[in-house]
Amino acid sequence: MDYNQVKLLQEIMEVGFALIETNLYLDTHPTDERALMLHNTHSRKYNDLYNRYSSKYGPLTYTGMSRCPWEYIQGPWPWEIEYEKCHWD
Amino acid sequence: MDNKMCPNDEYDIDSRHYKLAHAYIPYQNMCKIYDLKEALCKGTLFPELYMPYKKYDRRKKY
Repeated sequence: MDYNQVKLLQEIMEVGFALIETNLYLDTHPTDERALMLHNTHSRKYNDLYNRYSSKYGPLTYTGMSRCPWEYIQGPWPWEIEYEKCHWD
Repeated sequence: MDNKMCPNDEYDIDSRHYKLAHAYIPYQNMCKIYDLKEALCKGTLFPELYMPYKKYDRRKKY
């Protein structure tokens, strides 16, 4: 898998995780405007990354569109991808 | 039994009512957040919630 594809996937995971966190926080703090702004920023970023990924490498999930032949089964599956290691303890 | 000496069953801390045998969770206020790479590695966006299980060092009090 080429380096840029892995980098993009990594970024999608990072932004996606941040969205989960702001979602959970907003569930109990619905009026926290700073958290809401943060969430919306990440949401825009996520959509942008998602579109950039799928236009270049095909659908990220089964719901995405694909060129012919069906691109969803091309390339390695998520568990086969070597991501950069975490260096926090 | 003369219970003038005994406190009533409610306890007041920082002008808040606390009842015995009740659990209380302090309210989180978002302040600082990790950058996204660090957040994904640490499993939380919020430094105040990062508490990995470490081997307990008897001498040091956490």
